[in-house]
Amino acid sequence: MYSKFDMRDAFITALYDLAINDPNVIILSNDFGAPALDRFRNDLPKQFINAAISEQNIISTAAGLAKGGKKVVVYSIATFITLRALEQIKIDLCVMNLPVTILAVGTGYAYSTDGPTHHATEDIAVMRVLSNMRIYSPSDANMSAALVGTISNLSGPQYIRLDRGKYPTKHLASNLTSDGFAVWSESQNPSVALVSTGSMSHRALAVSEALSSMGIASLVIDLYQLKPVKPELLSLALRKCKAVVTVEEHTQNGGIGSIVAELIADQNLLIPLKRIAIKDEHLYAYGVRDKLHLDRGLDAQTISGVVQNFLDYFN
Amino acid sequence: MSNVGLKVVANKLRKRVLEMCFANGGHISTSYSCVEILVALYFSGVMRLDPKNPKSSLRDKFILSKGHGETILYAVLAERGYFPEEWLTTRYRSGDCILGGHVDSKVPGVEVTTGALGHGLGVGCGIALAAKMDQLDTLHYVLMGDAECSEGSIWEAALFASQHQLGNLVAIVDLNGIGSLDYTKNYIALESMADKWRAFGWNVLEVDGHSYDQLIGALTLDRTNLNSKPKAVIAKTVKGKGVSAFENDPVWHVKPVTAEFLELGLKELELGK
Repeated sequence: MYSKFDMRDAFITALYDLAINDPNVIILSNDFGAPALDRFRNDLPKQFINAAISEQNIISTAAGLAKGGKKVVVYSIATFITLRALEQIKIDLCVMNLPVTILAVGTGYAYSTDGPTHHATEDIAVMRVLSNMRIYSPSDANMSAALVGTISNLSGPQYIRLDRGKYPTKHLASNLTSDGFAVWSESQNPSVALVSTGSMSHRALAVSEALSSMGIASLVIDLYQLKPVKPELLSLALRKCKAVVTVEEHTQNGGIGSIVAELIADQNLLIPLKRIAIKDEHLYAYGVRDKLHLDRGLDAQTISGVVQNFLDYFN
Repeated sequence: MSNVGLKVVANKLRKRVLEMCFANGGHISTSYSCVEILVALYFSGVMRLDPKNPKSSLRDKFILSKGHGETILYAVLAERGYFPEEWLTTRYRSGDCILGGHVDSKVPGVEVTTGALGHGLGVGCGIALAAKMDQLDTLHYVLMGDAECSEGSIWEAALFASQHQLGNLVAIVDLNGIGSLDYTKNYIALESMADKWRAFGWNVLEVDGHSYDQLIGALTLDRTNLNSKPKAVIAKTVKGKGVSAFENDPVWHVKPVTAEFLELGLKELELGK
């Protein structure tokens, strides 16, 4: 249904449909726009507030609005809202457990040429340490739009991280399940599970196809709910494989590699794990996203080689 | 309640705070500087409150942004009947603790959890804006310390409140001139506090923060005319006010109250009734 949209416009379009029937739905924008937001601003001016470049106050104000019964969506760039306002998110949203949605755009190297000030390569790590916070990381426009359905009955804070650009729609429009993940490219007796999230799930899919041509069967797990993870369900999926590889455009500290490593430890899974992520270093080379991926070994070809070597090690 | 009655309540609360700080700790001078401000809000009729129904949709709301002043707020809430007075001895920073070392919204009568400074005014903006959107005539008060006003987030909120004409919001600055470590004049440029708020688009009143006449006048709003500039009440206070040993000395921000000072303080407060 949203296949022609990018994830951001899909979310805002679905949000418009909710807001037009519910005056308590309010957007607090961090002086940040989007093509689909113009219609929202024009038609629902009382429900759109440009709260200026003031991340700390936006979160505190969102908390207050939520206390007053409003269903608030804070709309910002991922790295700015998660890091500049971290204490406000912890105390005003998480400690008081208030139903506020943080809609954050620009995961990983999405703002590639804008450099490290605009890269969000720590957001999962930072948000997932906060108790009461839920985290979603959709991989296509349908999933992104489906997440709007969480807003009406939200019981605490949630962080929704969106990539920029358009990606093939792999999910159905109503595909938000309580499992928190979807299995793509399922095959009989897979050797390896490739676990990824957001746009990188599509990269994992490309890797899976490359592995297939080498005679290696794999399954791709699109982990779209990063917190809470359903440990039993995910364990069940991972147990089908001899090894697990996580693929992410996020620092190796605290992202989905860490989520899966913790799951393996906590669920007593005896499965070898390889984490493919951004090394623990900041990026001071500017370039388009594909180039950044290539330089850091996050392209499909390099990842496929790493997976192959990893499997060889155990065979 | 008359000013004489308010003075009796304030004296009682100061004694209670002293006993609480002696027994289990607390920031005595932070609490003492704002006793009259809280008594004016909670006992003079300025705020519309219903302690038996603390979640009433008609209630006015108070946020103690300087959350380390929890001792006086908890003493006030107990006195107003939000929870049993015995909690102040049995459940304050001890035992089956519900009254912790900073303000927690799980406590009956507390609206917002605070303790990390610079959050209260922003949350107050959101609560006031929601009330304005819903055309409620509720009032919203946020008390900040002057040293707390070094936080940039407060000035983000100040801009937001004036942009949105939150006339149902009152920011109170407890201007006692002392931070945690030193007199503010020695380390941060907080002079001309009233000019700063005026420049941010607020209606500003400067008052003696220990005078009920001035406080009540400044804190009273016309509920029929709330679509206006937000109001900043700059309350000139004495940190540690009420017991001469605690007054205007930075050391009492964190210094524990010993038996010697408990006795001395209670004696002085008894004389000052």
